[in-house]
Amino acid sequence: MTFKSFLSDRFGRIILQGIFVLTAVLFLLATGTDPGVAGLLLIAVFVCFGLTLTYDYRKSSKRFKELNAVMEGLNEKYLFAECAPPSKDASEQALFALFRRSGKSMVEAVSEAQAAGREYREYVESWVHEIKTPITAAALICRNISGESRDKLLRELGQIEAHVERALFYARAESPEKDCIIRQCSLNRIVSEAVKNHQSLLIGQGMRIETEGPGSGEDGLMVYTDAKWAAFIIGQILQNAARYHGDEPVITLTAKTLGKQTRLSIKDNGIGIPAHELPRVFDRGFTGKNGRTRGGSTGMGLYLCRKLSAFLQIDFNITSTEGAGTEVSLTFPAKENLTKL
Amino acid sequence: MQKIMIIEDDVAIRDELALILENEGYEAVSVTDFADVTGQVIRNAPALVLLDLGLPGRDGMVLCADIRKRTGTPVIVVTSRDSAVDELKALSLGGDDYITKPYNVPVLLARVRTVLRRCGGAREADILEAKGLTLHLTKGTASKDGRQTELTRNELKILARLMSDEGEIVSRADLLETLWDNQIYIDDNTLSVNITRLRAKLEELGLPDYIKTRRGMGYQI
Repeated sequence: MTFKSFLSDRFGRIILQGIFVLTAVLFLLATGTDPGVAGLLLIAVFVCFGLTLTYDYRKSSKRFKELNAVMEGLNEKYLFAECAPPSKDASEQALFALFRRSGKSMVEAVSEAQAAGREYREYVESWVHEIKTPITAAALICRNISGESRDKLLRELGQIEAHVERALFYARAESPEKDCIIRQCSLNRIVSEAVKNHQSLLIGQGMRIETEGPGSGEDGLMVYTDAKWAAFIIGQILQNAARYHGDEPVITLTAKTLGKQTRLSIKDNGIGIPAHELPRVFDRGFTGKNGRTRGGSTGMGLYLCRKLSAFLQIDFNITSTEGAGTEVSLTFPAKENLTKL
Repeated sequence: MQKIMIIEDDVAIRDELALILENEGYEAVSVTDFADVTGQVIRNAPALVLLDLGLPGRDGMVLCADIRKRTGTPVIVVTSRDSAVDELKALSLGGDDYITKPYNVPVLLARVRTVLRRCGGAREADILEAKGLTLHLTKGTASKDGRQTELTRNELKILARLMSDEGEIVSRADLLETLWDNQIYIDDNTLSVNITRLRAKLEELGLPDYIKTRRGMGYQI
């Protein structure tokens, strides 16, 4: 609030007061008061008005500063009316009583929405766990069938599993701290877990995977992360590589250390991503030209990848040349740099 | 024959698991009444328990701890809950290993073998024999009548798979699965190259046509 706007709020009153004073001066002059005395009185009255106005302005601007400070200090801004220091001013008290009523109903609406979100998330999680039992049973039964239809069925089951897994991680990404444990894990084991999860898709698409550097067994590079989540992220990239493959598809996995960090690069020789689509691949629900022509794209995979990577403090980078292939690099943080454990 | 007890409430999975384990030469016992599970484990005295965590009535985690405490039988926990938190909980309660649904069967069997071996059960066979050929898995060699040839990792896994399924036809897809399970991520063409080389090596040992091609179906020893 500026002094100018403060004055313009009181414009009517000031004009009215001016008219009263002028009338009073005219009356005094008409009744034979000395013009000098009348002039002095006039000045005195205007000075009085000016001082009261300044005092009022000072008082209300101090109050606003105080309220502003309270607002700045609040995390949940909608609780403002509850937290504001009480005023002595009756009309302000009445105003705040109205704010509090409105705030209360807002708080109720917010906590209801939060509870509904939480319940939904819990339901999705438990549903995902339920659905895994019939998927497992179906996969086991498939072993008794022989021939081509078995492989096809297993591939479809793999697809179902991949979709279900994404739903689970989508629900989890809302409050990642709940299921995430960061500890030392072997990068090699994370990678083989990710490959195993999508094995039937990868084999079905005729993919070949070459690994360089992660080392074998337990002696390989170690990273500090949550193995399940990291395997999910790598799995999404492998799925993309399998889905958008070209001729003689190869995925090259390279791991190397960069100082205290570890970088895993996943490179394919697939159809690549057009340059103008590259900045948008992380957007929720975005499907590019390739996704639309080949089908089966959900626009969720990379969105989730980036969200989960951010939580695990993995630097997720993607570069691509249309027609030549895509390279994703995941840089795992150094142990010292992890802020949450 | 080692006895494995399956504690799983889903009938389809239970039956299939029992079948798979029996095919692998284990004796499978299924629990169908979930009232006194620990008591049944004590009475049956299995070498290993496969425990599903989502059982009706009772918290699987508590059951796992109970079985471990009262019997000392190794427990592999099978569950659809797969977060790191759940895994930690299961292992800290005494589970010897942890597998999440949907699991793939070779992995499950490998875990079963590992736990049994670790807990003093039978050793995994190091030597495979079929139709006059002897395969040393740890040495990575194949031998016949004193003559010996060294095999690459890929060739070894291919031959081991074919020899352990002696007489049966193994499809190319199954061979690829086996190789991928062992972190050998090759494609169909590379498999053909490996088979050709393997055949050449076996021919040197005096075993031409040891691996038969069954057109449209796969390979057979």
